[in-house]
Amino acid sequence: MKTNTWLIRREFWENRAIWMIPAAFGGLLILAALFSRVNIPVLNTHVETHDFGGIFLFAIGTAFYLVMSLYAGWYLLDCLYTDRKDRSILFWKSLPISDASTVLTKLLVGLVIIPLVYFLAADVTALIAAFIVSIRARAAIGTALWQPDVWWQIQVLWIYVIVTTAIWYLPVAGWLLLVSAWAKRAVILWSILPPLALVLVERVFFSSHYVGEALNSRLMGLPAAAFRAGWKDGSDVEINGHVPGSIWRFINAGGFFTDAHTWIGLAAGVLLIVAAIQLRMRRSEI
Amino acid sequence: MAALIEAKDLTKKYGAHVALDRANFTIEAGRIVGLIGPNGAGKTSALRAILGLTDYEGQLTVLGREPFRDRTALMNECCFIADVAVLPSWLRVDHAIDFVAGVHPRFRRDRAMALLAKTQITGRRRMRELSKGMKTQVHLALTMAIDAKLLVLDEPTLGLDILARRSFYDALVNDYMDESRTILITTHQVEEVENLLTDIIFIDRGRIVMDTSIEDVAQRFTAVSVSSAHLDAARIEKPFYERQILGKVVLYYENGDAQKLAQLGELHTPSVADLFVAKLSGGTA
Repeated sequence: MKTNTWLIRREFWENRAIWMIPAAFGGLLILAALFSRVNIPVLNTHVETHDFGGIFLFAIGTAFYLVMSLYAGWYLLDCLYTDRKDRSILFWKSLPISDASTVLTKLLVGLVIIPLVYFLAADVTALIAAFIVSIRARAAIGTALWQPDVWWQIQVLWIYVIVTTAIWYLPVAGWLLLVSAWAKRAVILWSILPPLALVLVERVFFSSHYVGEALNSRLMGLPAAAFRAGWKDGSDVEINGHVPGSIWRFINAGGFFTDAHTWIGLAAGVLLIVAAIQLRMRRSEI
Repeated sequence: MAALIEAKDLTKKYGAHVALDRANFTIEAGRIVGLIGPNGAGKTSALRAILGLTDYEGQLTVLGREPFRDRTALMNECCFIADVAVLPSWLRVDHAIDFVAGVHPRFRRDRAMALLAKTQITGRRRMRELSKGMKTQVHLALTMAIDAKLLVLDEPTLGLDILARRSFYDALVNDYMDESRTILITTHQVEEVENLLTDIIFIDRGRIVMDTSIEDVAQRFTAVSVSSAHLDAARIEKPFYERQILGKVVLYYENGDAQKLAQLGELHTPSVADLFVAKLSGGTA
């Protein structure tokens, strides 16, 4: 346990981008809040006011989430490879740390810790931006941006997103770690080409496209089963009948954990991670 | 005394290439052993196997463990420097100490600090800001502060200038070595280490050519400088190698008859470097 905290600390020393990118991105959003034209719609009803606060937090969170996905993917793809590239693996391996703890720590950082850092950064940014916007826009908008119940709902939503996507993207993370532990060069190409080749081979020789569809549904956005229909385009017919702006209408934990794809992905992820650990044990140098 | 390292038919293949070919050797505790061979002889493969960095065929026990299966536990009692330039460039000196102190049960921080205090290196500097010699000092301070039973060094002074090399080996012998420790060094710079070794293992093309202690070398091997008049008589005594130096011929004998040989010319004990060349080139130079 003590070793694991040191391993996590090491990741923060090595990858300062873990906190620098969200800090810089938050800074940019705050600058935008300071200097951009504030063009706030007139909010007529209580429902609109309520939703506006939610949309504001949701938009900031989504922006952070997109940046985070790109960075976390890159982190997972690079982390084991870079140890071999600079040969520092020979230093890490001279210490009593198992390869399994090393790989699992990096997995934890990529799937949970990095998202949490961005989540925190999004919260801080939203707070400061809301403060700035309320001062600049005065009056009505102020109340729309400061609603504790909406804020709490968004917090729960993001934690839910982090948990479900960590599970959903486990096979993707496992694949990236596998490539990172294996490739001698060009990790980006190696991460993309084999799945692409598989899709093409299937299309040409079997004229089917199961692999492509599986990859597509795995990679595109958030796991669909974890959310209720209509969450994407806002066409949820229930909206007006419900508590205004309630986030609960999005969450579908039961659907996510009873979806076969969740468990198939989890199993594939475990296999890929075991393979990545085996490669880390055997491959020391490039 | 039980052997610290025992290899039996140790074999390592990379595809069709055989890096280690049924190598057998034992290393006892308390020794300073040089694993010596030309480039590509299998030195590094042997070390990688001993340190649990690769899998292998054959039997190998290090400190009573199977290194590849048990690397994590092995690294509690064994440490290694496999090339000095492997500390990651982003790592800060103080963080390096904190990290090793955090993960290694036998690391003694006070010792590392004392070793670093002798240098110009300050804690907040990153490895990328240090010269190669300084990086070596950091790595040595980290490694020598670990109470390990076995220290393995793979070409430890590669790329260092002569000053840094000398201080590296001085520190090793004076500050680190004692009866409870064993050091295994690979190098192809034989001259550099021959004064500190207690045992030598020659390796060539994946096979162990010779495995002996330095005391034994003096017993077993004789070099004789022979003038041309005695050359034919000297050749009858079955030298395993001969070499011409300044008009004289030096012939090398294993288990030769010292009295007979003394009549042929001047006797001396071959240096490890000479022996290395003699053993590995096989025949006339």
